[in-house]
Amino acid sequence: MKSEFAFIALPISALIAPSAFAVQYLTVDQAQRAIFPGKSFTAAPVNLTSVQRKAIERASGVRVLRDEQQVWRVSGGGWFIVDEVVGKHEFITYAVGLNADGSVKQIEVMDYRETYGGEIRDEKWRAQFVGKTSKSPLKLDSDIKNISGATLSCRHVTDGVKRLLAFYEVALKR
Amino acid sequence: MLCITAMEFRLAFAAAFLFCVSNAHAHEAIFGWTYTTDLTPKGHGEFEQWVTGRWEKEHGNYSVVDFREEFEYGVADNFQLALYVNHHYVYANDDVPAEDPAHPGNRLPGAYETGGEDVHAGHSPVTPFDSYHFESVSLEAIYRLLSPYKDPIGLALYFEPSIGDQERELEWKVILQKNWLEDRLVWALNINYELEFEKADGGGYERDGMFEWFTGVSYRFIRNWSAGLEFWNHHEFADATVHEHSAYFLGPTIHYGGERWWATLGFLHQLPIGQAFSHDNKEFAVHDGYIFGDEHEKYYVRLRVGFNF
Repeated sequence: MKSEFAFIALPISALIAPSAFAVQYLTVDQAQRAIFPGKSFTAAPVNLTSVQRKAIERASGVRVLRDEQQVWRVSGGGWFIVDEVVGKHEFITYAVGLNADGSVKQIEVMDYRETYGGEIRDEKWRAQFVGKTSKSPLKLDSDIKNISGATLSCRHVTDGVKRLLAFYEVALKR
Repeated sequence: MLCITAMEFRLAFAAAFLFCVSNAHAHEAIFGWTYTTDLTPKGHGEFEQWVTGRWEKEHGNYSVVDFREEFEYGVADNFQLALYVNHHYVYANDDVPAEDPAHPGNRLPGAYETGGEDVHAGHSPVTPFDSYHFESVSLEAIYRLLSPYKDPIGLALYFEPSIGDQERELEWKVILQKNWLEDRLVWALNINYELEFEKADGGGYERDGMFEWFTGVSYRFIRNWSAGLEFWNHHEFADATVHEHSAYFLGPTIHYGGERWWATLGFLHQLPIGQAFSHDNKEFAVHDGYIFGDEHEKYYVRLRVGFNF
């Protein structure tokens, strides 16, 4: 019986050996300068209450995975938010810049390590989000185009932006 | 004739595993047996190596390693074609119940001989058998009607014809997939029907039908890694009409998905709740609730490695 386990364990250990290698396209600082060039930033992290979390989920239809949200106040008005969504294999880290009125100024993909769908880093795909507000549909194949082979990533980033726009309404808007 | 011990067979099998792993670089199968509705994207291709080991019958020794090399291509966003070759290695010795010559159609109690689906016709039943055999070439077409990422449920249709020197096969599948928890929890169900035309010893072809369903659930528990459970129920029909048996299998599966390659290891254990319906299967195939005969073994292990380009 023991040898049977060794027989199975051998290929499993060979599979585990090549661990994932993280690649970062943009640091927080680089993403801030890309979205708000020449501006200064003040960290303003938010820890959601359960009431706020439920309000965001109700408004966006997207589940909130973490109560802590990395947020920076931008000099002259606006917000810079770093967020993560589930990718096919790994988390996708991205940043969203909001104008002072809560509309999307720009999004930047900071980490993306999937086999397909690198096009979500392309300016053309990201540009679809510019000007979106919490009232926008933000639905794949509706106001946001899908990328073949990366439907999961496209949908999750789209859902993520929709959730952050609801987050703005609930936790940042004054 | 090449004779190998059980240990040598295991080492050869482990070497086959490692060969696949060391040559792997990145359509992604999160289950060993159950298909999902995920397809290779339009304009992209994938090479996939399958290695399946299956072993243990009612008696003696019986081990088979099935190999499959598959090339998939995304023809359109929702349509994928694949071409693959099937070949296998078999070792058998004293593995099937012998027939009582005085009472044809009945087993001779306590007597076994070398035989089985993978043993060539004409082989002496009193000596061990081992052989490598090229089996068939298959074409696979999958069309996705609904995506689990955009629609309430994923739905795809599958068709696969195979042609070999000993057999011809036609296989149809309906593939369903439902995701939860940000697509980290995946459930899939396959409903299959297969028609097999196998060359008979006396010439011509024997027709068999198979109805089976596979289901699996898998959860991505950490980045890149998913683990789950698979269940398989197989029904065999002689001449595609006479219900011969129903066999059940259950086992774990683990999957790694990277940027350029992925690998899935699945294990299935036959459950001792099989049912034999025909006289032939009641007499020769069922033993302590397990279904053996020509179709099944007690243990199955499968490694699939794919890399995308």
